[in-house]
Amino acid sequence: MSSTSQKHKEFEAEPMGEKPVNALAGIGEVLGKRLEEKGFDKAYVVLGQFLVLRKDEELFRDWLKDSCGANVKQQGDCYGCLREWCDSFL
Amino acid sequence: MAALRNKSDQEIKDLLNEYGIKHGPLVDTTRPLYEKKLKEAMAKAKVPVTKPSPDRTFYREDQEEVTYVTYQTPVRSEGPSGDGKPYMRSRPEYSERDRVDDKPYSRSRPEYSERDRVDDKPYSRSRPEYSERDRVDDKPYSRSRPEYSERDRVDDKLYSRSRPEYSSGRPYVDEPHVYNTLSSSSYSKPTPVVKSGGGVVKKENTTSSGRLIPLWIQFLVFLILAGFLYFIFTNMESAESSPFNRIQ
Repeated sequence: MSSTSQKHKEFEAEPMGEKPVNALAGIGEVLGKRLEEKGFDKAYVVLGQFLVLRKDEELFRDWLKDSCGANVKQQGDCYGCLREWCDSFL
Repeated sequence: MAALRNKSDQEIKDLLNEYGIKHGPLVDTTRPLYEKKLKEAMAKAKVPVTKPSPDRTFYREDQEEVTYVTYQTPVRSEGPSGDGKPYMRSRPEYSERDRVDDKPYSRSRPEYSERDRVDDKPYSRSRPEYSERDRVDDKPYSRSRPEYSERDRVDDKLYSRSRPEYSSGRPYVDEPHVYNTLSSSSYSKPTPVVKSGGGVVKKENTTSSGRLIPLWIQFLVFLILAGFLYFIFTNMESAESSPFNRIQ
């Protein structure tokens, strides 16, 4: 993704703290709800999953697709958002 | 398959390593994902066992065909490959790929039009294949724009490549035609087919290229605009010269 969305920028701007899962880029209301149902109610839980999957793009994308039905763009946005967050703060 | 659920974490890890699947720690949240990946890997691994290898080659050629429609570079490289007998080599490759052209191909001109019609299936197939691939890749919204322009670029290639090739392809012997054929035939297809009343292909051409305004209109508008600007420019020049006269 060459350009980042507003959501992505806002997410990167500060520590994620207790932000809800739909603060992640690519995760909107619908996907957010599905993730919450699975127990991923906060952004940091998804971050945890991202880290457990060793920050691997393919694995994370697959997981995201399976758990909330994200399409390729949404997967990419979320992955990019988390990866950059990790690059900056981890 | 169900036995995957009952396997221990260690066994799942061993299986993942066996299939060469990259994985992280096996946790509650990651386990379903890895189980699914293992299932897919197992299903895939079964396929070559049941089917003979020529079919495998067949599948790869399928991919090649699709890749060909997308990129066109493999064909280019295959055409002139080999010094001694480029045509001989690329001919069977090409006909193999088409799967329809095997016999008519060895003949020449009169077969050309016939092959066009025969080619129709692979041509029309490869297009929907490509668009189908796009649809499979992603459904939504803003990506449809790049999809559109991506397909435009592809079609531009087809257009721009096949145009010179089409004009030069006809007087040539049909050999260079070997690697041009798919592109030139795919381009030339609209013309003969339209003549025979196949508006379908023409429509397919326009819909698959995805232009709202046809290309020739765009060029025409551009030329008119350029001519207009040139006209203004020349007028400006003459206007500049008159102040000098006045001073004198």
